[in-house]
Amino acid sequence: MIKVENLTKRYAGVTALNGVSFEVQRGEIVGFLGPNGAGKSTTMRILTGFIPASSGRVEVAGLDVFEDSLAVRERVGYMPENNPLYTDMRVSEYLKFRSKLKGLPRAERRERIPEVLDLCGLKDVSHRIIGHLSKGYRQRVGLADALLAEPDLLILDEPTIGLDPVQIRQVRQLIKDLGKRHTILLSTHILPEVEMTCNRVIIIHRGRILASDTPENLMKTLNAGGLIQVEVHGPGSEVQAKLRAVEDVESINAKMIEDGYVRVLMTPKSGTDPREKIYQTVVRNGWTLRELTRARTTLEDIFVQITREEDEAEEERREERRSVLR
Amino acid sequence: MTNVLTLLRRELGAYFASVLGYVVLMFFLVVMGVTFGVIVGYLNRGPTQLTAMKIMFSMFWLPSLVVVPMITMRLLAEEKRAGTLEMLMTAPVTDFEVVFAKYLGAVTLYTIMWALTGFYVLILQRFSVGSTLDLGPIFSGYLGVIVIGQFFIAIGLLASSMTNNQIAAALMSFAVVFLLLIVLNWLTYLFPSGVLGKVFHAISSFDQMEDFQRGIVDIRPLVLYASGTALALFIATRVVESRKWR
Repeated sequence: MIKVENLTKRYAGVTALNGVSFEVQRGEIVGFLGPNGAGKSTTMRILTGFIPASSGRVEVAGLDVFEDSLAVRERVGYMPENNPLYTDMRVSEYLKFRSKLKGLPRAERRERIPEVLDLCGLKDVSHRIIGHLSKGYRQRVGLADALLAEPDLLILDEPTIGLDPVQIRQVRQLIKDLGKRHTILLSTHILPEVEMTCNRVIIIHRGRILASDTPENLMKTLNAGGLIQVEVHGPGSEVQAKLRAVEDVESINAKMIEDGYVRVLMTPKSGTDPREKIYQTVVRNGWTLRELTRARTTLEDIFVQITREEDEAEEERREERRSVLR
Repeated sequence: MTNVLTLLRRELGAYFASVLGYVVLMFFLVVMGVTFGVIVGYLNRGPTQLTAMKIMFSMFWLPSLVVVPMITMRLLAEEKRAGTLEMLMTAPVTDFEVVFAKYLGAVTLYTIMWALTGFYVLILQRFSVGSTLDLGPIFSGYLGVIVIGQFFIAIGLLASSMTNNQIAAALMSFAVVFLLLIVLNWLTYLFPSGVLGKVFHAISSFDQMEDFQRGIVDIRPLVLYASGTALALFIATRVVESRKWR
């Protein structure tokens, strides 16, 4: 559905995208994840033909976005960041205007507008002026607009930004439902959102893609976080020494807590799970065990880890350059 | 073309969805109405060479200078500020279609505005005693105000494309219209003859309007303003496109 090769975008003096390549297959829901200013919106604007790339190739539905810009735009439903709308129009009026612009014939318009109004839960407000609607409703108007022409591809830039928790849940559910019929590329910097809605995550940072995989795989391979917390009743220094000796344990951090228990935080070696061995060690020594848990790795941990590694690498490169200059 | 019509309807809707359309019409009708009243009172005193509509048309500079910046300032500046330009330009429409529809929208409002003064013609026709109204100069007079006004609208649209601040756009178009209209008129007085004088007389809107309201439709000003409009719209389209190569 989307094929991006070696995409680079330079604004005056700033490189927003630096050799980005990725593909999105038909039917996927792909989450574009990155901190603010990572290049998410820039990529989306290039995909929708709003701005061109400095170099690289971008194909949507087999069409080049630079050469067949109008044809691509007919196939893409786009909701830009901050969801700009004509606030002086009524909801139904706006959707009628947009469907005409998108070239829907009259008969199809008559059918399609009530459909998207229904799908996005806008029936009750279809005669209200957009400027008078709450942010959640406006967001749905933006979604409804993106859906009008039944596009092959939906591109949603930060679809849940600025919504309250209830609205966020509604919009996410809506996106999930839409994913059954459309290919979706959405961007966000809210991690649970990706975990909940997307089949695949692309992590982008400083204009470069750092990782691209399913949320589960990312967690498995990176195994960031995954700290094991143990609370045992026993002599502090002995507990510390013996637990450190357990196989597959990278490092530990023990702390006495008031009631005579020792709380130990252990970092396992990458890809291993030493919980069994920890249990056996505790039993062998006759200590009392009241907690043995492993923190679930969240996408947030992965994200922080990946971007931190990248920042450190960047810092090193800079350091090298500096020393060369000296 | 259907895209242009769709966009044009939206533009006209936007004028009347906000108070702007009504305020502009009111401003214009108050000024013209008062002027008309005074003119009719003056002409009632005795026979003169002037006709009421001639004097009305010679007021054309006022809407050009004041109304044009008012109706053009938001056209593109507001779209840029609100980000709706992105919605527009990611729909399957070309940049020129958007610019052209906005130009047409403003020209339509301007034309409606002047068309409302048609009531004055009806009033004159109904109440003038002993003489029939000569409609020829009235038609050519209307042609003149529209032809000149549409060019200044294209200028205003160009100004609006260059900024995302409506006030800046309004001031820019006011300044340019002031130069092309008022300053050029002053120059025709400063240079009554000579090559420069000829040039100034040929391109001064006041001189051209003089002809139009007399019933003379000269092809030269028509071509001049049409080319000026084409150039302004072309540059405005380029400015809108400039997001692509900046």
